Amino acid sequence: MNVADLETVLPFLLLATGGVALLLVDLAVPQARKSLTGWLAFVVALAAGVSALALVSGKTMKGFAGMVQADAFAYFADVLLCVVAALVILLSLRYHTARGLMRGEFYPLLLLSLSGMSLAVHAADLLVVFLAIELLSIPLYVLSGFARPRLESEEAALKYFLTGAFASGFLVYGVALIYGASGTTALGDLRAALLDNPALTSDALLMAGLALVMVGLLFKIAAVPFHFWAPDVYEGAPTTVTAFMATATKAAAFLALMRVVAGFAALSPSLAQPFEVADALRPMLALIAAITMIVGNVTALAQQNVKRMLAYSSIAHAGYALAGVASGDATAVLFYLAAYAFATLAAFVVLIAVGSTEGNEDHRYEAYAGLGRRAPLLGVIMALAMFSLIGIPPTAGFVGKYFLFRAVVASDLTWLAVIGVLTSALSAAFYLRVLMVLFMREPETAPEAEPAALAADAPRMVAAYVSAAAVLLIGVFPSAVLALLTGGELVALVR
Amino acid sequence: MNDFLPIFVLLVLASGLVSLVLLISVLFGPRRRARNETKLQPYESGMRPIGPAQRRLPVRFYLIAVLFILFDIEVVFFFPWAVALRELGWAGLLSMLIFIGILEAGHFWLWRRGALEWEKMDK
Amino acid sequence: MPVVVEVTLKSAALIFVLLTGFAYLSLLERKFIARLQARIGPNRAGPFGLLQPVADGLKLIFKESVTPKGVDKPIYFLAPALVVVPALMLFAVIPVGKGATFQLASDLNVGALYVVGVMSLAVYGIALAGWASNNKYAVLGGLRAAAQMIAYELGMGLSVAAVVLMASSASLADIVAAQYPEQYGGILGWFLFRQPVAAAIFVIAAFAEVARAPFDLVEAEQELTAGFMTEYGGMKFALFFMGEYVKMIAVSALFTTFFLGGWSGPFVNEAPILSVVYFTIKVVVCLLAFIWVRATLPRVRYDKLMDMGWKVLFPVALANVLVTAVLILLGLPGYRL
Repeated sequence: MNVADLETVLPFLLLATGGVALLLVDLAVPQARKSLTGWLAFVVALAAGVSALALVSGKTMKGFAGMVQADAFAYFADVLLCVVAALVILLSLRYHTARGLMRGEFYPLLLLSLSGMSLAVHAADLLVVFLAIELLSIPLYVLSGFARPRLESEEAALKYFLTGAFASGFLVYGVALIYGASGTTALGDLRAALLDNPALTSDALLMAGLALVMVGLLFKIAAVPFHFWAPDVYEGAPTTVTAFMATATKAAAFLALMRVVAGFAALSPSLAQPFEVADALRPMLALIAAITMIVGNVTALAQQNVKRMLAYSSIAHAGYALAGVASGDATAVLFYLAAYAFATLAAFVVLIAVGSTEGNEDHRYEAYAGLGRRAPLLGVIMALAMFSLIGIPPTAGFVGKYFLFRAVVASDLTWLAVIGVLTSALSAAFYLRVLMVLFMREPETAPEAEPAALAADAPRMVAAYVSAAAVLLIGVFPSAVLALLTGGELVALVR
Repeated sequence: MNDFLPIFVLLVLASGLVSLVLLISVLFGPRRRARNETKLQPYESGMRPIGPAQRRLPVRFYLIAVLFILFDIEVVFFFPWAVALRELGWAGLLSMLIFIGILEAGHFWLWRRGALEWEKMDK
Repeated sequence: MPVVVEVTLKSAALIFVLLTGFAYLSLLERKFIARLQARIGPNRAGPFGLLQPVADGLKLIFKESVTPKGVDKPIYFLAPALVVVPALMLFAVIPVGKGATFQLASDLNVGALYVVGVMSLAVYGIALAGWASNNKYAVLGGLRAAAQMIAYELGMGLSVAAVVLMASSASLADIVAAQYPEQYGGILGWFLFRQPVAAAIFVIAAFAEVARAPFDLVEAEQELTAGFMTEYGGMKFALFFMGEYVKMIAVSALFTTFFLGGWSGPFVNEAPILSVVYFTIKVVVCLLAFIWVRATLPRVRYDKLMDMGWKVLFPVALANVLVTAVLILLGLPGYRL
């Protein structure tokens, strides 16, 4: 270990030490002023984000004897994750006070989970992938039960924990099998071993291990058929946690997934690009992507609850991103994930604003009737979010889908792109329904004077403006984001 | 495996001894055929037992058990480190201090949050 | 094959010695406590009551084996075994005399780790006995025992770690050897004097591990009847009794090995058999201390017991290990190998 090693995971180190230190600092913060803990966490997340931004165009490096890799993709994901987490912290301050959830442990847990995500995007070894997935998951199990003693929240925590522990079991067992077959857990060595020894590519043990690792990771991104936990957990967890899970977890798990896929690229006979999907994997990924897009969008159509609809929407978007993985274009996938994250976060701003008012938290469509006219700002933000999620220009969602489908078509998966376009058209039905309820329906009972409360919270407004601006700016100036991703040298996900 | 042979032999002999002792009392002890419900009742100071004994237990015991697993692993990590410290030198001590620092942060947090208070844990 | 025969004979001899030791330890305890309380103690069975353990054993053998209603039978019968077997197994790595002849598993280089691991196995026996008995006193006693033992195991493990640190080896033979380097004359090399904090922690934790006064809340008769062994009678009870006493001998033997220089003493090189004598004397002294404490100190309150384990013993033991590590790295006179 030396200092250069530490630099390769600098954002992770900042987040992890910050999280542990904040846990102790929080002990000294009086109960009435827990928002101070929130602000400190905000600073830590921002500092980690800035450190990642400063490193994003640097050289690709390996650290800790090849266990972690620092490249533009990883730092880009770090920036995305830290910004998302910082926005979630801003959103949580008022919401937690209103819902009686203002416990100081929320913020250290969020930072620790974030540190796991940051480690996951840097992972260049299957063991680090496992470690990072555990580190990001375990705080999330606790966070989803944070609205204790609300039953839905406890149920969400237990469901997530039990299924998540099972998925982790698959993952680590798969790692063991891969190690047994190839004698290494480092993705770069694995790829080299596969290239040296073509006989290994048809090894049953290796394939079984690969399948198990895939199951574990597909569970984390909630791809069909490993998605059953997602709607209940997303609905039961506190809305701030849902926002964090739906955006950040997905981005982190996808980059880890792509690195694993890249480690097996040598299963394919030709090898030219930095990131390739093996012929053996491509049909499987494409099939799962197609099913996920179809199931996610069709089921979202039937939902009567905005929060639950967004849960299915997140499943559907995992399908789109997975199509990008099948095409082998990491840039398009990460770009898409960024676009999706900000659009979803913008939608959650509205949900959290609604949840921060007096009375029970109610996310049925009826509860949103007429909201767009009572609080025009929230209405506009929701409209932006929905347009972006459908993929209507000039929002980020449009550019994201454009890059994605272009990559999918370029990799001879035209049928997958067609399914993607068709399901996107279908998704307009339920995304626009939200807007219809928001602007065109009268509330059943006369609402109290709530618009003031909806717009009052300054930190939430900052989060709202930032996420809305991101949706628009990424849509209008995509090249700025792409420059971050491809600004450095040509990056190989696994070397 | 030869290192562990004596331990295995001792395990077999000790288990054999225990089985023998349990067998002796069955062989030599009196056997009374008539079933006597009262005699077979669990002892509850002479009262008829009220409710089953194996019901839900106070959660504090589980909490202690979980904490133990956490910190016992810490203790186990000490042994290989302790054997090798003279070779590892100051770098070894530093690594251990980082490890201990993280765990002790948790210990301190538990302490301050009252997880170690036996009497007031219910609140 | 001869190795297996030799090992089997040694194991059988060890078990025989331990069983005899257990029987006469129970007599020793009754006699000694009686003296401390100005009584005479058992004196009817044989001269000075020397046949008392035989009489006790015979009485228990001819008791009916009662299995109460509602017990979880496999676990109910397994639990006593889980207490006795680990207690006996502890002796596999303890060097009771000079040289490999007097140590069963002499080649095992992870002895200290083995000791800590096997010692904690006994918790299972006690917790399961309480659980399987279908008796509320037993459940409470078993739970208390489990919580108490695991709380003190941390302190004990760390005090042993300090000893391992001093000896730079986890083999118990090496630990004994490390207490007799050239530069220290006689008993000053004992870890009792070079690691006093670890020794104190080990003693306190040992009392809690064996669950004897003042830490015998597990079977506090005023509130819990007989704790986890309420529903155990006859020879099944005898097994728990045996487990407790064998563990007491084992802990004394471990304290002797870790802190009192083990088997060492004058003239062991000329007459190796003397080493066994020294070892036995040291162990008996420890056992008398055990009994003396029982006769002297009242029982502590349970919440104080837990507080002591988690808030005093564990942090102090941890600090002791780290301070020892620093002193070793500084190469202070008392901390060289």
